[in-house]
Amino acid sequence: MFSDVMVNSTPSDIAVDIRSVTKKFGERTIFGDVSLQVRQGEVVALIGPSGAGKSTLIRCVNCLTPFESGSIMVLGHELHGTNEAKRGPSREMLKSIRTETGMVFQSFNLFPHMSVVDNVALAPVLVLGTSREEAREQARELLCSIGLSHRVDAYPRHLSGGEQQRVAICRALAMKPSLMLFDEPTSALDPELVGEVLGAIRALVDRGMTMMLVTHEMMFARDVADTVAVMADGALVEIGPARQVLDDPQTDRCKSFLSRVLQQKAPSANTSAPSMGAQIAADAPTQEHEQARDTDRKRKHAEEVER
Amino acid sequence: MFAGILTLWGQYFGNFLGGLGISLEITVAGLAFALVAGAGFAALRLARFRVLRLIGTAYVEVVRATPMLLVLYIMYFGLGQVGIKLPAYWAAVIALGTFYAAQFTEIFRGGIQSVDRGQREAADALGLSRWQRLRKVVLPQAVMTILLPSTNALADIIKDSSLVITIGLSDLMARTYEATSATFEPMDMFLLAGVMYLVVYLLLSRVLGRLELNVQRRHG
Ligand SMILES: Nc1ncnc2c1ncn2[C@@H]1O[C@H](COP(=O)(O)OP(=O)(O)OP(=O)(O)O)[C@@H](O)[C@H]1O
Ligand SMILES: [Mg+2]
Repeated sequence: MFSDVMVNSTPSDIAVDIRSVTKKFGERTIFGDVSLQVRQGEVVALIGPSGAGKSTLIRCVNCLTPFESGSIMVLGHELHGTNEAKRGPSREMLKSIRTETGMVFQSFNLFPHMSVVDNVALAPVLVLGTSREEAREQARELLCSIGLSHRVDAYPRHLSGGEQQRVAICRALAMKPSLMLFDEPTSALDPELVGEVLGAIRALVDRGMTMMLVTHEMMFARDVADTVAVMADGALVEIGPARQVLDDPQTDRCKSFLSRVLQQKAPSANTSAPSMGAQIAADAPTQEHEQARDTDRKRKHAEEVER
Repeated sequence: MFAGILTLWGQYFGNFLGGLGISLEITVAGLAFALVAGAGFAALRLARFRVLRLIGTAYVEVVRATPMLLVLYIMYFGLGQVGIKLPAYWAAVIALGTFYAAQFTEIFRGGIQSVDRGQREAADALGLSRWQRLRKVVLPQAVMTILLPSTNALADIIKDSSLVITIGLSDLMARTYEATSATFEPMDMFLLAGVMYLVVYLLLSRVLGRLELNVQRRHG
């Protein structure tokens, strides 16, 4: 999967540096003085109770939401709080940040009036200036590699949730981002469709993509994330290696959150189990995967021959 | 008696058709004016800057509070008095345009705002400019919500175009009126005019209804 995804590297080793950021909606402080670093190639999972501000934090990173104070460095671009900077980021900087950053939303947000392939090809044409044919060809390859070759000309409303979310991932990847932001990519999905999306994310992790991932899938976070950050009560209450934070939380706030989540999960062990099972199934070589891998192999071979 | 009506209708049909032509001309010109101005004011109402939004809102509110006939009188008699003498035809077009611009402002604004916020965010996250976002993502999805009320507004413009009788234009309404005093058969004449307005309305609603269906089929 994702043989085309190039993981660009910027000069600095730090992909995202969030320094003392405070975010308010009106008078209400959502979080205050939050700091978090994401290294190149690192996968940071952001967990925490509903309403803690996880979505808001990752939306600050690609400027979908302005923040009041502090600063965020994203792939070498500096963003400042509205209290400190007189004017917001320049149009060019905004475009660079958003071009180099891919975002996947909980509710997919595919463009309903465009076919799948056009959803994926739109931004490369409009923003990167790729030719229409080339963008569509690349879109097809991406869709193929994620097992959606048969859905290329369909409209989003005819796809299952899992398929829609995989298209949304392709749409973000089509811009060849070096940082991916996921906001609860599987929360809107039926349990049996969660696996295919997690499988696609895992494939990206395996290719070394830098990620910030908001999720309620604790097992998945434990599995793929390098770092887990727990957000609660307007702050990051614990940041550390994934397994350490999830298996042996240090702070009381984090302990109580995790125990509540695990309690909720426990009676429904039957429903979470299939999702992990489905994930394995998604990773298992289906016919499309095989084809995609085949073409991958061929392409790699061709590239090597060229060299 | 029935034969009587038909003969009378036959006599005046050509004359009325000419009047209807003028009504439709004013309507189409007024519509064009209203669409362009409506798009402009909708842009103001959705602008980033407060002052611009205020201007847009003020325009809509003021025009909505004003009867169409008053707008027409201001454009013709009012402006005439202060030295801006518009020919009756243009006064009618500008009055219809000004008045219906306010309606289209609200129709456009409503259509654009009906598009899910997530759509705009997805476009932003991909790096599209505001203009690209509007053209490629928002407007195509707003079309459906815009089409139906626009059809209604157009039907209203045709009917309101009959007000131009008051400034001496020879539209369908004016010719009907003249015919009644020539024939002393007001009911017959008004019925003929009514039938002609009805036919135009039916044609229009069929054509636009078809268009709506097409758009719906494409966008689902
Ligand atoms: N546009 C907005 N205007 C005002 N308040 C908002 C806005 N967006 C979010 N909030 C508030 O900010 C808080 C944090 O929201 P956010 O969506 O970031 O939480 P979250 O951690 O992602 O929760 P969830 O797990 O439910 O997605 C919430 O209390 C929410 O009500
Ligand atoms: Mg959220």
